[in-house]
Amino acid sequence: MFFRMIFGAVTRQKQKLLMMACTMALGISLATAMLNVMLDVGDKVNQELKTYGANIMVEPRGASILSDLYGVREGAGVSGKFLFEAELPKMKTIFWAFNIVDFTPYLEVQARVNASEAPVAMVGTWFSKHLDIPTGESVDTGVINLKSWWEIRGAWLKDADESGVMAGAAFAARNKLKEGDTITVAVRDREGRERAAELTIRSVYHAGDKEDDGLLAPLAVVQRLSRLEGKVDRVEVSALTTPENDLARRAAQNPHSLSRHEWEIWYCTAYVSAIAYQIDEVLTDSRAKAVLQVAASEGAILQKTQLLMLLLTVLSLACSALAISNLVTANVMERSTEIGLLKALGASDGQISLVVLTEMLFATALGGVVGYLVGIGLAQIIGQSVFGSAVAAKGLVIPLIAVLVLVVTVGGSLPAIRMLLRLRPTEVLHGS
Amino acid sequence: MKNILELNSVSMIYGPVKALHDVTLNVREGEWVAIMGSSGSGKTTMMNIVGCMNKATHGTVFLDGEKISRLNAKDLTAIRRDKIGLIFQQFHVISYLTAVENVMIAQYYHSMADEQEALEALERVGLGHRARHLPRQLSGGEQQRLCIARALINHPKLILADEPTGNLDEANQEIVMDIFHQLHGQGSTIVVVTHSPDVASHAQRVVRLEFGRMVREEQPVERHVA
Amino acid sequence: MNRKTMYLKIILSSLIRRRSRMMVALLAVAIGATVFLGMGSVYYDIPRQMGREFRSYGANMILAPSGTDAAMRLEDARRAERLVAEAKLVGATPFRYETMYYNMQGLTVVGTDMVAVRKTSPYWRIQGDWPVEADQILLGTDIAENARLYAGTSITLECIPAGGKKFKKEFKVSGIVRSGGPEDSFVLMPLKTLESLMGKPSMVSVVEMSIAASSEELALLAERIQAEVPGVSPRPVKRIMNSEAAVLAKLQVLVYLVTVIVLFLTMICVGTTMMTVVMERRKEIGLKKAIGAENKSVIGEFLGEGMVLAAIGGLLGVGTGYFFAQAVSISVFGRGVSPPLFLVAFTLVASLVVTVLASLLPAARATDVEPSLVLRGE
Repeated sequence: MFFRMIFGAVTRQKQKLLMMACTMALGISLATAMLNVMLDVGDKVNQELKTYGANIMVEPRGASILSDLYGVREGAGVSGKFLFEAELPKMKTIFWAFNIVDFTPYLEVQARVNASEAPVAMVGTWFSKHLDIPTGESVDTGVINLKSWWEIRGAWLKDADESGVMAGAAFAARNKLKEGDTITVAVRDREGRERAAELTIRSVYHAGDKEDDGLLAPLAVVQRLSRLEGKVDRVEVSALTTPENDLARRAAQNPHSLSRHEWEIWYCTAYVSAIAYQIDEVLTDSRAKAVLQVAASEGAILQKTQLLMLLLTVLSLACSALAISNLVTANVMERSTEIGLLKALGASDGQISLVVLTEMLFATALGGVVGYLVGIGLAQIIGQSVFGSAVAAKGLVIPLIAVLVLVVTVGGSLPAIRMLLRLRPTEVLHGS
Repeated sequence: MKNILELNSVSMIYGPVKALHDVTLNVREGEWVAIMGSSGSGKTTMMNIVGCMNKATHGTVFLDGEKISRLNAKDLTAIRRDKIGLIFQQFHVISYLTAVENVMIAQYYHSMADEQEALEALERVGLGHRARHLPRQLSGGEQQRLCIARALINHPKLILADEPTGNLDEANQEIVMDIFHQLHGQGSTIVVVTHSPDVASHAQRVVRLEFGRMVREEQPVERHVA
Repeated sequence: MNRKTMYLKIILSSLIRRRSRMMVALLAVAIGATVFLGMGSVYYDIPRQMGREFRSYGANMILAPSGTDAAMRLEDARRAERLVAEAKLVGATPFRYETMYYNMQGLTVVGTDMVAVRKTSPYWRIQGDWPVEADQILLGTDIAENARLYAGTSITLECIPAGGKKFKKEFKVSGIVRSGGPEDSFVLMPLKTLESLMGKPSMVSVVEMSIAASSEELALLAERIQAEVPGVSPRPVKRIMNSEAAVLAKLQVLVYLVTVIVLFLTMICVGTTMMTVVMERRKEIGLKKAIGAENKSVIGEFLGEGMVLAAIGGLLGVGTGYFFAQAVSISVFGRGVSPPLFLVAFTLVASLVVTVLASLLPAARATDVEPSLVLRGE
């Protein structure tokens, strides 16, 4: 009989229950979309923050103090310490390989252009180098991805273009050079022998930094001119990282100060210091440092964004839960006559509550399923239109939503049912 | 005496069902007519047509000399407001208005709410002391008397009652019938739709409906004296 | 009793005597208004608040000496600073670069304002303390590591002032600075100390400014400084400026979309609740019609009820919405937010429109139904 009553109510009150289910679906789709976006927003914003460039800098151990004197880069060969280009693909084999978004090596030498005496910084790098990783994957990485804020007049150079060079805006302006001009570049190697090459300026870049006063060429060209084949003097790495906490800060000072357990946690979390440490492990005589301007700020922004989304989600969920349980209340109240009749017919309070609750749960469960699917769609719309990539549908959301539906429905129905049960059946049946 | 209500060959067809079939009926001013019939005889259909809540599919209906069978919904509302006082089986009242306000709302829709007049109307049906109560504080009989007061308030040409005692016990039925007799005595025209011979017996004239047809018109079996 | 009083009496009776239902409707409207004002204010305030957060990336404008000069007068830089609105200037830090020697090895020594630099380079990590005394210095972590120095030790530097005689001075290392950038191999000391040792006071090499402004504003500001302050050449830091613009725009779109979706869905929720509450009253509508109410009277009454509900619910919602926005802003950004007045007006209008529409739609539908159907059928 119970089921017949439910069945009757569901089929005969189709319209009302449908409206309920629809609203429930809307509310749930809101919850699903917000939760999914919230859970994924960290990763997405992290990706976006990669536009700030490298957050890890790798240098040969012991080299930095000599070559970093402000303004006076004394050029290759002074420290005599290098990293090996051939080792670089190993960076994609570390524990957090997947988090390493881009990296590019640099080799900086002092060059003389068109036989003038003033030396010019000439940097060799990868533009968009295709690498085959020992694990079988392959990636394309290089300076193009790392310097998204550079303005290029013309196009980026190709790695294979061994007769091309890019000129910094300041250098080009001072020497009245433009795209298409050919310059003679001479580089002195460590023994003092000079090698020269004719290079054509393919494009001019504006970085808004001291790089503007120099030349940018494929790594192979600079290595050949300076006879430093296979060598690079620093590597910039852009990695997705987790905001730092206390543990990470202590580890950054000295990883060996951690207990065994802490060390494991640290090593297996994508802290910038952990990734830097793992890079040190695979590159010979290297020293990877977190570029704190990027790494620390990233953490700050990420935390703020996540907190913002979390709060917005919680508050809007609370509001929509309240709104929906309110609707459930309205729906139950509407049925005062029916409840009065059931009571008059001798149904117990428990039986009545059960019938009404089951009905409401039926409607909301239906709405919940539809709403979940719509919500995934909404999350995708947000993901695509804001970040240009899909938002991962997290499994965690489903149980959360289920609990929410249950709480909202039961919480919305019970007070109304209790209120109606308190009425005497005659009152309900008499007062229209 | 002139006819307040004239039905000429009225039929009502709902799809394949013929609810009313060629019914002709005249009600004179000041007359008390009972329309009798069992469930499904078409008496509710007839009540709805006379009460300007439905339009007949065939035939003509005149109310107070006005042809109402072809009026639109808006004009029907106006007729209902000005000429008819409706009393329902399930004493419909507005739950959030007090008794006197429930009467006044009919005045308000008609022309002007006049509390004094409304109180007098309640007095007339013996509810003067309950004027400030909400419907849920009134008994069934009291609610029905409230409905009668509301039906009377705009001095309708025709009082139309649909099973007015259907939900009442005998004592209350007596009270309601007494009020009807009073009204009739004051010259109101009353049409009562009922299945109960007892209620019908109060009327001057009984019209019997069976399967949508008027089978006969008869004088009440037994004459009640109020 | 005139018609207006009766009309008000009907509406108010309906609102007051059907209390539980009306509370439900009121709650719905209030929730809607809360979300509207709350989300609206947060959205409105996000660019400003987030813009401030992005200042953790440090300086986005550099003042350098114009032409080929190696230094500029601090006074000129201060004049340029004053062109920036006070509310937007997060910090401005002067830097002066000199070379000193430690164990015959050249080191870059930077004189700076040890308080201001914390604003423009919030990402520096200090192990130890910031210098307070004139003879306290910060050591870059690379130098410290190489020379095996740490906070609390002393270091003797050889200074050769321009045109002066070489002398030695001992400094106390108050802390070790780590940034992952060039600072790691610098020695940092208070600007005053450096001036007293090397002469040429009030000259600086570079001033770093951190300004909470969009890239367009920065570009305009740079033009103004260029034109009004001779001797100083402003250079917006492209990397910081462009990246910030890109990321901030995304975040704004994100919050915008979220706001739109939340608002839309909340409004529908409010609407359906109102509709449910009104649909329940079909019978009442039928009765009113049966006793002669015209459709427009019935609808007029629902309109009145809806407007009263919207006004009360809207005002309630404005109050709670204010707290909503305040709660979000304070816990995320640590700063309050004041919703603009037009948003409050907007919220009230929106609650009015949604409430009235949601109560009129079902009411209008109910008035179309023959009263006989409503009254007989159960």
